[in-house]
Order: sequence, then structure tokens, then C-alpha cells
Amino acid sequence: MASNRRGVGLSAFSRNTLAQSQYASHGNQLRTAHAQSLRTQLAVFQSLLHNFSVTHAKAIRSDPVFRAEFARMCNAIGVDPLLASSHGRKDEEGGGSFWSQMLGSSVNDFYFELAVRVVEVCRVTRAENGGMIAVKEVVRRVQKGRGVGGGMEVSEDDVLRAVSSLKPLGSGFAITKLGAKSMIRSVPKELNPDQATVLEAIQVLGYVSVSMLQLNLRWDRARAVAVIDDLMADSLVWVDAQATPEKEYWSPTFIQDNSGASG
Amino acid sequence: MDSTTSSGGGGGGGGGGFAFPPHYSFPPFFTLQPALTTRASQLHSWSQLIQAYCRHRRLFALSLVDAVDTDLFCNAALGRRLSLRDAREVIAWMCGKEGGERAEWIGAGNAAKGKEGAEARAACWVFWRRPEEWAGVIEGWVDATGQKNTVLTLYELLESDATKSQEFHGMDPELLKRSLQVLVKRGKAQVFGSEDSLGVKFF
Repeated sequence: MASNRRGVGLSAFSRNTLAQSQYASHGNQLRTAHAQSLRTQLAVFQSLLHNFSVTHAKAIRSDPVFRAEFARMCNAIGVDPLLASSHGRKDEEGGGSFWSQMLGSSVNDFYFELAVRVVEVCRVTRAENGGMIAVKEVVRRVQKGRGVGGGMEVSEDDVLRAVSSLKPLGSGFAITKLGAKSMIRSVPKELNPDQATVLEAIQVLGYVSVSMLQLNLRWDRARAVAVIDDLMADSLVWVDAQATPEKEYWSPTFIQDNSGASG
Repeated sequence: MDSTTSSGGGGGGGGGGFAFPPHYSFPPFFTLQPALTTRASQLHSWSQLIQAYCRHRRLFALSLVDAVDTDLFCNAALGRRLSLRDAREVIAWMCGKEGGERAEWIGAGNAAKGKEGAEARAACWVFWRRPEEWAGVIEGWVDATGQKNTVLTLYELLESDATKSQEFHGMDPELLKRSLQVLVKRGKAQVFGSEDSLGVKFF
């Protein structure tokens, strides 16, 4: 009932301010205590994560499934490995990022190493495919490697992560969806909607012809021809002039080992 | 560039054990692409294919008119073929600096260098090894087998059992002579004798 007792007279004013400041200081106390306990929890968690990554470092590096799961777990608890790792590079001297502190930068390095391979693959094939390559194909090429023992065991998830790690460089590497396929685009060129539509159709049908575009998309001939000419100039489609009854246009992403056996 | 020893076989079908590259089953590969960068990459892929194919089949020269009907330029399963005109263009590219001078028109070296009539472009060397590279290979073999200062006939080099395991075994005599000339120029060999019974001495 103490709180209900209303003070009378002038002294009530000072009592009010007194009570308010007491509430405030008590609130502060609670907040700090709360923060303290959170900090302890985080520290415990960090050390656990660290222990985990140290004991399983080998597995993280060598097993793509395990690595994907690990990355997913980190994502779920709000640790963005890539954001962290890109910062880690910048101020490596000053202790590095949360992530690289955690993982001793070995997982970090893995993604940077992979990113370099991805860039290499994109550059080598750029003239052939106009800078648009399927993620699957990149995985295949990276796994095959350049020389003896040069291959890396990677999953699509890894490649996607590696590509996003290139973002701070602003070099125009990006993931785009074409139909059901994930593609890596290594030229900083936006496709216009017409071009994207045609490429999507090619992914589904295997190839397109001018009259197919006219029929299915109700485009007039000039529009279909113009879009295809644009795509051809960018090496994004190849023409098959020997097709009957009319020319067919194919995507170079279909040039890939379909012999089944691993190269 | 390394020889494709296809243990799996049946890669391209009908290739006689030759594993065709993935490009070979891509229909537009048989149409020269109009866009310049695409075409450059395509010509490069063709050059790789022709060299690998010739190495596998141990071909040293191609007669284009005949070759366009073989499975090298003609994918029967796909119903696509590289036309004679386009094949000429591929070879022409291989002849140039851009193509690494991996081919050379036969008979074009002498008088017909200036005019590029169809006559002069009927056949070509395919240098999956250039004469200088062959010279190196032969020199290496002579070195390894301790045959310096001995005289060998060209026939021995090409056909004897001693060279059976060597890549230059059974190579085109014309090309062998050119390769030996490289060694002669370097002062590493001397060729003598008459047309039919040429001999060579290595230093």
C-alpha cells in the first residue's frame, strides 16, 4: 500500500523525483546484469564454437556436406561468415573478425581459395559463354582441378558462398537464377527482361528459334531477331545454322561433359 | 594437350577409341559463330580437337576434302558437319600466330604464298608438335640412348624396332626431314646421302 500513499504538500515533489531516480538506477542495474549474463553466455558459446571448429577443422575443410551444415548453423545463430571474413581480411593484424578469430581463419581461407578458383574458371570460359556459367559446371571444373591433385572437394553451396565473398571487390560477380538453374554471371551486364526470357526458354527447351519465340511469346519477328542478335553478340547464345527448317540458338552452358564418367 | 587415353571408351561414339570433347556434341559447334569473341574461342576449341584427334590417330597431315567426311569434322549422330569452307577457315586460323602456328598449308610455302587459291589450300600439316618440338624429342632420344656420333638412316629412325616406343616412330618422312633440318641449323646434326637413302649423324 506504500505506493498508493499520496504525499501531500510541497515535499511530494521532491519525493517524486527521488523515486524516479531510484527507479532509473535500479533499471540500469538490471540492464547491466542482463548484459553481463548475455556476455558470459556469448563468451561460453564462442569458446564452444571455437572448440568445435578446432576439433572439426579437418572435417570442415574436407567434407562439403559437413561444411554446409556448419555454415548453416552459423547462419542460424546470426553469424554471417562472409561478412565477417571479408572484414577479417581488411584488418587481419588487429585480431581479425569474429569469424576468423573463431575458426583460426582456416575456413576463411578455404572460401577465399575457392573464390580464386571460381574467378579463374569464369575467366577461362568467358569467351565461350559470354560470362554466364552454370554453378554445377563451375563445381565440376573446380573439382577436376588444373593439374595433378589440384582438385578441391566442393559443393554448390560452397561455390555460392565463395561468389558472395567476392562482393566487397565490386568486380561484378553475381548469382542469377535462370529458370531452375543457378548461374554465375561474371560480366557486369544486366540482362534486359527480353533477354532473360529467351535465356530461360533455352534452359528449359534446350534451344530456341525465331519462330518459336514468335509463337510462344507472341513477339513480332523483329523483336525476336533483335533479342537473339544481342545475345549472340554477347556470346550468350550460339547459332546452329545447319538446323532445319530454321536456325536454332543454343546456350553454351550446354557444352559440358555428358559422358558420365568423371574427367 | 595430353593424349587422351580413353579407358572408358565410347565417349563420342565411332571415334575409334578417341574421346571427343564435350563441344563435339554441341550442335552450334559445327557452325562458325558470327560474333568475334565467340568465334575466337570456337576456333581455339576446334584447334584443340584437331590436334588431339591427329595425335590420337597419328596423323601428321590432313587432306581437307577427304577429312571433312571423317568423324573429325562430321558428327553423324548429331547430323552436323563442319563445311569445307569453314574447315579451311579453322586451319587458316591454326596457321596464324593467333592459332600458335599449329598448322601449315602444304605447298603454300613455295610459289603460291601470295595467292591463296583453293588449289593451294587442299591439304595441310597439323603440328600437334611443331618441327622444332619434334627436333627436341629426337635429340632427347638420341641423347638418352647414347647414339651421338653414330650414323642412322631416316628409315631406321622411322621404322626400326628401336624407335617403336617413340612418338616419332612412323611419322611422315617429309616432316622428319624438316625437323632434322632444325637440328642441322642448330649444329646438332648433319644430314647426308641421296634422296632415297638419307642418313643422319647427331653430335
